[in-house]
Amino acid sequence: MESNHRWIEHTAELQLEIHARSEAGVFRQAVEALRELLEDDQPARGDRAERTVEAEATDRGALLAEWLAELVFLAESDGLVPEEVRDLVVGEDSVTAVVAGRLDEPRHLIKAVTYHDLELRRDRDGWRGNVVLDV
Amino acid sequence: MSNRGASAPVRVDDTLWEIPAYAREDMRVPARVFADEDLLEAILTDRSLEQLQNVATLPGIVEAAIAMPDIHQGYGFPVGGLAATAAPDGVVSPGGVGYDINCGVRLLAAPFTAGELDDRRRGALVAAIARRVPTGAGKGGPLALGRADLDAVLEQGPRWLVEHRDVGTAEDVAATESEGRLDGADPAHVSSRARERGSDQLGTVGSGNHFIELQRVEEVLDRDAAERFGLRRGQVTVLIHSGSRGLGHQVCTDYVRRMDAALPRHGITLPDRQLSCAPLDSDEGRAYLGAMAAAANFAWANRHAIAHGVRRAIADVVGADAAAGTRQVYDVAHNVAKLEEHGGRLVCVHRKGATRAFPGQAVFIPGSMGTASYVLAGREGSMERSFGTVCHGAGRRLSRTAAKKQVDGGALRRELEAQGIAVRAASSRGLAEEAPLAYKDVDSVVRVVERAGLAGRVARLRPIGVVKG
Repeated sequence: MESNHRWIEHTAELQLEIHARSEAGVFRQAVEALRELLEDDQPARGDRAERTVEAEATDRGALLAEWLAELVFLAESDGLVPEEVRDLVVGEDSVTAVVAGRLDEPRHLIKAVTYHDLELRRDRDGWRGNVVLDV
Repeated sequence: MSNRGASAPVRVDDTLWEIPAYAREDMRVPARVFADEDLLEAILTDRSLEQLQNVATLPGIVEAAIAMPDIHQGYGFPVGGLAATAAPDGVVSPGGVGYDINCGVRLLAAPFTAGELDDRRRGALVAAIARRVPTGAGKGGPLALGRADLDAVLEQGPRWLVEHRDVGTAEDVAATESEGRLDGADPAHVSSRARERGSDQLGTVGSGNHFIELQRVEEVLDRDAAERFGLRRGQVTVLIHSGSRGLGHQVCTDYVRRMDAALPRHGITLPDRQLSCAPLDSDEGRAYLGAMAAAANFAWANRHAIAHGVRRAIADVVGADAAAGTRQVYDVAHNVAKLEEHGGRLVCVHRKGATRAFPGQAVFIPGSMGTASYVLAGREGSMERSFGTVCHGAGRRLSRTAAKKQVDGGALRRELEAQGIAVRAASSRGLAEEAPLAYKDVDSVVRVVERAGLAGRVARLRPIGVVKG
């Protein structure tokens, strides 16, 4: 199964649903989804840059939310539009990776990653993640 | 689980519906919504009332979880609702304020009429506002602040900008809810990340549904109140809608996470993690209240700085006298938690997409782009029925994606301009997301709050220009 994601209609916000073969695949696919949102069909063109990203949480759903929250912070503070994930390590209560991308003015503002309907779990075909973003 | 569906509301009177507390085992108080039949039908199409029932489970909530007619589904709390909590076991919930802490609206009244602005000058004024006030995602505000100055703004709000940067006036500060400063603001509880996100965003509008709208007073509906607010038919007004930008977003993010982790320690179980909360007198509760107040002060300073940019634009196009004569009518928050006395006791009133409406106080209800906005005045009924609170806008009806599917941004821009509304927008897509059809009918919303005795209509404002993030 290829990793994939889709955006689900939500009255005021954006709900992101991710499917992947592995748990790590969900974290990778989350970065792809974020890139799509930040670029809004206009590929980032700025200088290449990379950042070490670390997130911690005591359960799987919150770990996915905190991973995305780190990337949201980098998008707003540094203008980092992520393109690639290296050295991804998903642990019991932490996730670390090097995220490479381009420094640009993201087209889309993401206010926050919420804890509403948060989910990261195994399903029949692999792993499934669900996160609602405030945009 | 949160997705259990709402119970059926029962009609209480002409404009009030209630889901009794016994509808669900975990509800501590009833869930009430102000609406008419048509608005209730629209409300029942999403999960907003189920979310309101979830709010009714919060420890220490008193009387009822209450929703306004512009309620729509949010995450955790619905948008357009309020919850009052009381000691000893009352909680404060960052999600009950929302990520955009002290998102709100400020109305300026210009000393000239729409008739005195020809089409060319109207377009030029909208363009000048777009030039003077940064909009859209990201950074680059006109007032970059060092750490000590940022701390001062977090503690003192717009008053600091008047006294130290010659931005705005003391009269502007006086015409601001809570005079632009919540007590108890504690910058020490604002994280370095929040500071980093907000440090150069002061004086910027942001994106999403934030905007600056140039308007004319189309109709005065309450002559005495309009006179008190200094509004007259034909006059040009400017409505500013923005909040605490990335600083507030990060404060909420930090405390949702922190309180979520502390729930077991406080013995709190919730139907939705986004309702994460902590007792008002706990370490987490006190820290959040200090950080939230600081972010609220930052938001008031932000709208104050934006108003300064608007006055400069008026000076560019109409003249220095017109800029100096542009007066602030009032500024109200619609995402905030405040300690207030109601019914003889101190409660923490969470207003998420809801506006304080104390008797006689001015309230501004933006419609959607291209439709009317209203000036209201709070009435006694709000103190008796809704903890001094009223609605905050028209309320979304369609998701942003659905709006973009149905509306072409370029066509919408042409349509608005054909209606005499000059448009400056960072992107056509952003414009489409905020198209009028994405919102409920603002006239219906304000009619309900008037019939319910929460607030009365004072004036209707019609857009003649818009600057969108």
